[in-house]
Amino acid sequence: MNNKNKETTVNIEQVRPDAKMQSITLNAWFGSKQALKEINLTVEANAVTAIIGPSGCGKSTFIRCLNRMHELVPNARMSGQVLLDGKNIYSNETDPVQIRRRVGMVFQKPNPFPTMSIFDNVAAGLKLTGTKKGQNLDEIVKKSLQQATLWDEVKDDLKKPGTSISGGQQQRLCIARAIALQPEVILMDEPCSALDPVATAKIEELIVSLKHDYTVVIVTHNMQQAARVSDFTTFLYLGELVEYGDTRSMFENPKSEITEKYITGKFG
Amino acid sequence: MSRLLDIGLEQLTSIVLKMGEAAEKAVRTSIAGFMGGQDVSEQVSELSEMLVTMTVTVEDKAFELIVKYQPVASDLRIINSYMKIAYDFERYGRYAWDISLTHQRFAASRKCVHNEDLMGKIVDKTMHMVRKSIEALRDNNGEMVKSLAETENEVDKIYSAYLDILAETPLAAEDGICNLLVIRYLERIADHATYVGEAIYYIATGEKIILR
Repeated sequence: MNNKNKETTVNIEQVRPDAKMQSITLNAWFGSKQALKEINLTVEANAVTAIIGPSGCGKSTFIRCLNRMHELVPNARMSGQVLLDGKNIYSNETDPVQIRRRVGMVFQKPNPFPTMSIFDNVAAGLKLTGTKKGQNLDEIVKKSLQQATLWDEVKDDLKKPGTSISGGQQQRLCIARAIALQPEVILMDEPCSALDPVATAKIEELIVSLKHDYTVVIVTHNMQQAARVSDFTTFLYLGELVEYGDTRSMFENPKSEITEKYITGKFG
Repeated sequence: MSRLLDIGLEQLTSIVLKMGEAAEKAVRTSIAGFMGGQDVSEQVSELSEMLVTMTVTVEDKAFELIVKYQPVASDLRIINSYMKIAYDFERYGRYAWDISLTHQRFAASRKCVHNEDLMGKIVDKTMHMVRKSIEALRDNNGEMVKSLAETENEVDKIYSAYLDILAETPLAAEDGICNLLVIRYLERIADHATYVGEAIYYIATGEKIILR
């Protein structure tokens, strides 16, 4: 990973001390192909921010830059800054593992560890980071499953494999796994695209309830989903941030003609 | 390639524009009957009934489009505004019918217009607003509707002046009631023309304004 602009000075006027996260002149590349161009975006605390845009516009790349997962891709690089509580997560002193703990990620397809039980799936991250049985592990697993609204459905089957439950339940299990590490921000990359409408509705209800304790950023192709669950919406197009605003305004009266065309299905 | 939603929006637009034509005809016919001393209540009743039916059609179509396509942005603003405009056109028709019914009941085929000069002014301004609102809808012209606020203000002033004159002038009870009600209906039609204008402005700009 070549973070070629680690020493970029942040323009003090751009920094919002009350924001949970901010990207400042964020650029990202895969080899020579630039995927993100000068993205300045504020992620408000305890709110859901949706990222929308056509395929290949840089949505997933953007959220992967928010927890330093972009740098795991061979030939990937970035420039600019990403602030978490005002501090640059790409500074030399920052441990990427700690950042990924503070900024969790839920992926498109539910990906519970196939050889682990439901309980162990939730506890896996905790064990890796040193929490042992007896150190409230049972309590944390239970609380995480409760927050993910899965506890009542699996409380008698905690020893069954994580893959033995339905797709929607597996996705909530993955959310519980992320929650167990007590992150501050949860990134979700199209978390409902592999789910049926009933499972989708449960995840959407969960997303809205999670914002009371966490900051949520969700990438979605589903415009109605963005409208339903998010407080703020960002439209990316060809790697550029075209429009950002409160979700109601964005879907009622977008400022940009390109946004209007995209959300009304006139292109994309 | 046009969107499936576009076909529905075209149908909706067509119905609303037809409503505009019918509403304008209803108001024009009822006023002509009143000013000329003719009973036109049957003609206007047919137009008013047609407008009621068309309003239901617009609502049904609008709900269908919302359910099927979950429209947003300008699509949603158009559907929402067309529902409001359809109701306003229905009210044009209803007040037009009320004018013709009032004239039929109190004056039958007799001319009963009092102070023809002042009544003529409010009639002209109201008809101007009705036509302007329909023209702005046809052209999707948000700027055109802004002048409606000024004209509506003038209608209100004439309405008020006419009431003062009616209060001071001894008239046969039937003529007094007839003129009083007709001028009230005209003032209400002018109000609805501003509502139509507000809805058109919202479609065109996404901003909500008050034209009254």
